[in-house]
Amino acid sequence: MPRPFAVKAGKKRKKREENYDKEEEVEMVNEDIPAVDEVDEDDMPGIPITVSDKKSSSGAVFILERASLEVAKVGKAYQILNSEDHANFLKKHNKNPAEYRPDIVHQALLMILDSPLNKAGRIRSVYVKTEKGVLFEVKPHVRIPRTYKRFAGIMLQLLQKLSISAAGKRDKLFRVIKNPVTQYLPLNSRKIGFSFSSEKLVNIQKYVDDVKEEENFVFVVGAMAHGKVDDEYVEDYISISGYPMSAAWCIARICEGLQRKWSIN
Amino acid sequence: MAKSETMKKNKKKSKKAGVKKVSMKQKSAPKDNPFETIWSRRKFDVIGKKRKGEERRIGQARTRAIDKRKKTLLVEYEQSGKASVFVDNRIGEQNATLGEFDKAILRSQRERQMKIKKTSKYNLSDEEEDDLDIYDGLRDDYDDEVEHGSDEDAGQDSSSILRHGRKSVDANIAEEENRLKSKKEVMEEIIQKSKFFKEQKAREKEENEKLVEQLDKDFESLVHSNALSSLTQPNKMNALKALVNPNFSKELKGKEVMSVSKVSKQDEPDTYEKLVSEMAFEMRARPSDRTKTAEEIAEEEKERLERLEQERQDRMRATDDASEEDDDSESDGKPFANKHSHVSGDDLGDSFTVDDKSLNKKGWVDEILERNDTEDTEDEDEDSRNSDDSEESEDDEGGTEDEKDNGKAETLKDWELSDDEVIGTDLLDEEDKSDEEGGEEDNKTHSEMEDKKNERLANPVRKVKKKTALLDLGMAQRSSLKQELPFKINAPGTMEELHALFQDHSNEDIIEAIRRIRICNAIPLAAENRKKMQVFYGLLLQYFATIPNKVPLNFQLLNLLVKPLMEMSSEIPFFSAICARERIQRTRTKFSGDIKDPGNSCWPSMKTLLLLRLWSMIFPCSDFRHVVMTPASLLMCEYLMRCPVLSVRDAAIGSFLCSIVLLVTKNSKKFCPEALTFLKDLLLAATVKDPRCPKDSQMRTQDHKPLLWIGESIEDIKPLDFLKIMNLPKDSSFFNSHDFRASVLVSVVETLRGFVNIYGELKAFPEIFSPIKALMIEVADQKNMPNPLQEKIRDVVELIKKKADEYDEHRQPLEMRKQKPVPIKLLNPKFEENFIKGRDYDPDRIRAENRKMKKLLRKEARGAVSELRKDNHFLQAVKEKEKQRVDEERAETYGKARAFLQEQEHNFKSGQLGKGRKRRR
Repeated sequence: MPRPFAVKAGKKRKKREENYDKEEEVEMVNEDIPAVDEVDEDDMPGIPITVSDKKSSSGAVFILERASLEVAKVGKAYQILNSEDHANFLKKHNKNPAEYRPDIVHQALLMILDSPLNKAGRIRSVYVKTEKGVLFEVKPHVRIPRTYKRFAGIMLQLLQKLSISAAGKRDKLFRVIKNPVTQYLPLNSRKIGFSFSSEKLVNIQKYVDDVKEEENFVFVVGAMAHGKVDDEYVEDYISISGYPMSAAWCIARICEGLQRKWSIN
Repeated sequence: MAKSETMKKNKKKSKKAGVKKVSMKQKSAPKDNPFETIWSRRKFDVIGKKRKGEERRIGQARTRAIDKRKKTLLVEYEQSGKASVFVDNRIGEQNATLGEFDKAILRSQRERQMKIKKTSKYNLSDEEEDDLDIYDGLRDDYDDEVEHGSDEDAGQDSSSILRHGRKSVDANIAEEENRLKSKKEVMEEIIQKSKFFKEQKAREKEENEKLVEQLDKDFESLVHSNALSSLTQPNKMNALKALVNPNFSKELKGKEVMSVSKVSKQDEPDTYEKLVSEMAFEMRARPSDRTKTAEEIAEEEKERLERLEQERQDRMRATDDASEEDDDSESDGKPFANKHSHVSGDDLGDSFTVDDKSLNKKGWVDEILERNDTEDTEDEDEDSRNSDDSEESEDDEGGTEDEKDNGKAETLKDWELSDDEVIGTDLLDEEDKSDEEGGEEDNKTHSEMEDKKNERLANPVRKVKKKTALLDLGMAQRSSLKQELPFKINAPGTMEELHALFQDHSNEDIIEAIRRIRICNAIPLAAENRKKMQVFYGLLLQYFATIPNKVPLNFQLLNLLVKPLMEMSSEIPFFSAICARERIQRTRTKFSGDIKDPGNSCWPSMKTLLLLRLWSMIFPCSDFRHVVMTPASLLMCEYLMRCPVLSVRDAAIGSFLCSIVLLVTKNSKKFCPEALTFLKDLLLAATVKDPRCPKDSQMRTQDHKPLLWIGESIEDIKPLDFLKIMNLPKDSSFFNSHDFRASVLVSVVETLRGFVNIYGELKAFPEIFSPIKALMIEVADQKNMPNPLQEKIRDVVELIKKKADEYDEHRQPLEMRKQKPVPIKLLNPKFEENFIKGRDYDPDRIRAENRKMKKLLRKEARGAVSELRKDNHFLQAVKEKEKQRVDEERAETYGKARAFLQEQEHNFKSGQLGKGRKRRR
């Protein structure tokens, strides 16, 4: 039986996807153009061209696993559940309030996106996967709100609207994407998981220095209060301190190590 | 083939029938479609969300929709191919709620009614009707025909009654509208109206009362706030208070109130009115004397002087009456005898000068002291005058005292210091008091006795000054004995007049004369006075310039002239600036003429130096660009740059110029490389060095001579006396003495110290002063350097070193391409504070509305499309079924026919075996 509408709808969706890709491409091109200009500037007569490894510089991707971002209808309004404000509500619904800690995600994101590593443009992107399995991408050029309340507002809108654009631009800063996360990771990347329970206690500085120059980093950090990350795609679980560490501190150490490695001050 | 097909079909049929049979067996009631029992699954479990919208069974909904279509669409479809339509208009058939039995009742009722109608009365009843009566069973209930009829009648009756009743009610209403109002109603209305007005009145009254109360309260607060007290007299104040406060009034008036107690109630408003009328007649506040304008002050001054002149003239003529009158007018209540004795005293001039002098603003101690010297009677006179013109007293003072006192009052410290320098002509630091006094002592040789006293006044110690002031007064008296000045002096127009005026007068008198000229010809008084004053200013400046040329230098007079010149130039700033520029230009042309002759010493004369100093005091030195000071400083720098230093005297003059430059640049902190180079050259001249490697001095390497080299050991260094130097002939042996060299060096070092202090904030300080520092160390290390000079040099070196080190500490090495790394550009996410899903957050209302409508339209369109699609599906299914049925039917008939034919064929072929019966039939 002919179903013209269905076919049309399918086309539409495809189109949308293509559109999105185009946008990304446009962005890439935009990024490339100034680089070309720089080369032109360097290309002054009489001055020998120096080989710059700017373009081939590797980057880092952060994945925050098991983030406890959950939307619930509290009273009449939808809210991101947290242990402080919704303790009674959670108890009423037979949930453990201690597990609802969106502030960890907030801290972690702040740590990642405020680091000099990010300022230097070496963080490719950040992915967050919630406890419920929703995966979303955070662009590295987002300015995360400093206060938790505003952050919760953004997360709420993101989880309902599925994307958040920049103020005054069409650029999408957050968007919910399809699982699994592995399809978005760069090809030659080393996927490193962090776990206190891991037997392999290393010095992050040395560990990072040992990785080859052109290889990308994917760091998988748990953003939950209790429990541990366990994903198949992680190649290597390491622990970087003898003490159990908060996600924010862990990220701070990683960033510090990478900054040393890439000499970013 | 065909056979097998039919066989198959039969089999199928049997199978189907079998299945049906089984199912029939299994469930007695038709069982639910299993798909209908499935609930829709929710994708995300959101805590706290009610399951209202989601409790939906998709399967059930689908069957419902199909049922609905069967009722509507299917019926339409079935009728679509037909020409006629069967419309079922049976009673009760449209109403779905009625049951079969109810329908039957309704129908029978209707039938009966039809029967009973009059028109059908004569109709013969159909036999069939009775036969056809379906409701045999129901007949029991409706047996009684009579009852029915009565019922009918009753019904009709009631309906008619109803109709009648309604009519009557309508008529009643119409009547009521038309009828006039009854008397009672009218009265009631009137009463209501009057009541309403009364109430309104009462309310208004209440409001009025409230307002009055408010007013009273305000008035009371005003009275208590004492704001009124300043405007009214105190006794009125009491009355006011009494008004406000009844208790107070009782206390105050007491008996009065008692006496008029009977009429007190009416009296109270009366007192208030009285008060008001009194206040109306009361004197209003008046403005005090306004401050006088400058013109008025000048006018008064002039009038005063004129009056004094008149007095003088009168007294000269010795008309007693006039003087007495004057005295009386001037000082009331003074004993006449005193006045008389004063007027007829031994000396007229004496009394005048004392009069003038005594206008000083003196402390009472001074007055007492003075009383010992002068007559008591006069003092009283002075006192009275002191009070009315205090301003003059400053001007009236003797020049030196005036300057000193003013220096304190106006905090013109610079002025004082610079003054000292000019007086003392020592190029040393101003702070050295002893040196200064020494310099002044030198001055004594040219100055008169009074000058000596005045010079001592220059000493800033106050006590000494006060004591000497008395002596000074005596001196002034004596000097004024010689010549008498008229009170009113016209401004001189030519130089001769000026000389004539100033000749044979003491310094104080000259200053006094200038003052009087200025008062008499004050610019605000008349338009032509400006011109006069300009001419006078020009003359005075020329006079100032001529003084240094006189052989016994009247330095005291020069000093005194500075003040009036300064004041006048502030009055006529344009003219003074023009004068100064003209003079500078002339000096410059003369200088450029002089410099062509290499053997000639072209250093500026005493006159030029003094004028430069004067201008630096008159005009502001701190301006970035000034019409006079910029060319003046340029001229000074040119002198320093171009004039060759041939002798030690030249060096002394140069160092003096340097000190003037220092003064000029002190405030503005302008960098003046010429002065520094010159000082450096002088330092270089103090060393014995190979002329082959003069790497430090760029400008005057060719005439590098050890001019300031000190060959002998010197015991003590005398401070430099500039006036003395200028007065000495050029080829005096004094200039070649090592003492003189040492003193020049001291002045050089002190000036350098001043420059170091000024330029301490310059960024290039270490670079500017490090060569000088090196030179100074070299000079200090010389053999015959006297100890105090050496110490001084070391001090300055230390100072330079300290400041240079500070700069060295703060200096940072240059960085190549210093720039901060550029961070990536961050973007702020756009989000709402309270996000609610589905709400449009577009700030443009119209656009949001449009979008909403579009969305709705799209939704509706989509709904309609899906509905149509489902209809199509349904119809398709129906058609399919129909087609299937027709096919089946056709196949069946075909099969039957075929079977019959086959049988025939068979019979025919088999020879009709056993089939005779059929045939027979």
